[in-house]
Amino acid sequence: MKSIFVREIRLNLKTVIIWSLSVGLIGLACILLYQNMQGDIEEMADAFSNMGAFSDAFGMSTLSIATLGGYFATEVGTVHGLGGGMFAAIIAIGILSKEEEGHSGEFLLSLPVSRTKVVMAKGLSVVLSIVFFTVVCALFYMAGFKALNEEIPMKEFMTFMGMNLLMNIEVAAVCFGISAISGKNKMGMGLGLALIFYVYDLIGRVVPDLKDSLFIGPYSYANASTIFSGKETDAAAVTVAVIITIAAVISAFVIYDKRDLAS
Amino acid sequence: MNNVIEISHLTKSYGKNRGVIDVSLKVEEGDIFGFIGPNGAGKSTTIRSMLGFLKFKEGSIKILGMDSVKDREKILREVGYMPSEAWFYNTMKVSEVIKYAADVRGIDCSREAEMLCERLKVDKNKRIKELSLGNRKKVSIVCAMQHKPKLFIFDEPTGGLDPLMQRTFFELIEEYVSKGTTCLLSTHVLSEVNKYCRNAAIMREGRLTMLESSQIDDDTFLKFYED
Repeated sequence: MKSIFVREIRLNLKTVIIWSLSVGLIGLACILLYQNMQGDIEEMADAFSNMGAFSDAFGMSTLSIATLGGYFATEVGTVHGLGGGMFAAIIAIGILSKEEEGHSGEFLLSLPVSRTKVVMAKGLSVVLSIVFFTVVCALFYMAGFKALNEEIPMKEFMTFMGMNLLMNIEVAAVCFGISAISGKNKMGMGLGLALIFYVYDLIGRVVPDLKDSLFIGPYSYANASTIFSGKETDAAAVTVAVIITIAAVISAFVIYDKRDLAS
Repeated sequence: MNNVIEISHLTKSYGKNRGVIDVSLKVEEGDIFGFIGPNGAGKSTTIRSMLGFLKFKEGSIKILGMDSVKDREKILREVGYMPSEAWFYNTMKVSEVIKYAADVRGIDCSREAEMLCERLKVDKNKRIKELSLGNRKKVSIVCAMQHKPKLFIFDEPTGGLDPLMQRTFFELIEEYVSKGTTCLLSTHVLSEVNKYCRNAAIMREGRLTMLESSQIDDDTFLKFYED
């Protein structure tokens, strides 16, 4: 199992590094831009907070982008949320199905290792990749605050990173389950799912009828503007996330163990 | 003689499509067993059921005295399998694939792998994506043999191999068999069955028939395919 885990980490290393650096650097650049925009940002903050549904969707009605905390939540929060969700989907959606698509499944499963151990090793490699991504991005964002000599709102920042880690794991778990069913790499479906989850949350914050159902989506508890405006984390949303994650992972184990392997 | 393979009334279907029907087969220790039949007859389905790639509901398979479903991991420690297509991970080097197979088995096979690579003229520094089918098959042979298994399962192993390599391949099989290994050889090549196999069976439309002798003439062999 260890060999499979190590091989998966090596195989995905380039993707993980590219995504971590890309999202981390974009976030850092956004933070550093704050200094250049500081002169005009007061006016912008007023304008952005009075744009009705648009302001609600991006959290600018509750937070002022004139403060670095508010600016981080609205700008970097969007970049990290969207980037993280897409990364999690990409890394998980093909992790099991690529063996059949690349016809290497017969080689792997003719070795003395159970399907359960294969799923376990690959699942752990996905989790480690997501944790690595989160840590690298967090370091970039912290470096941004440091470069501007601004104090990091540590409680909100850690909650934001932690909730996004959970959200990424939830998205990855759903994609992992799909990967166990399919013999083909469904990259498009994975990316589409991440975007649908994001858009669902965005629309849910604008359309009053959807507000009560927001907690179903993974972006509901990971929303930066909610976290940085000091609101309590929605326990129902986190509970749903944990249930979906566990159900998706168990499904992946059961389905992959029971089904015929394509040649 | 112990039976290394014991298949009893195996039936496997793919939805409404036929796979294999009521297949029973015994292969004794030390045998080189020829497994012949037209394309789509069910040879690969039988082999893939033996290795646990396919799940079946009817019948049972025992390999080396162990149940193929319950003891799959233990069985695979003693089996060397070579699939007909020999696919690996494209970006890996040959040496990495061979070592990876040994690492997953948790054993050091470096000495045996070295010997096999030398005899089969395997270039270990090339990447898998650079290899022809024949060269991928040679890597597959190394992976199937390096841990000195008790049972070889080869699915159309010689397609893509040049005549010299085919001869080396069968020399290797005979060497391992002389030390106690058993070999199940699925093939379309009559000369391989006649020359190397001690017993044989034919699969047609999902059903298996044991042959009285592995020495078959051309006309009889082709008749199996025509019928």
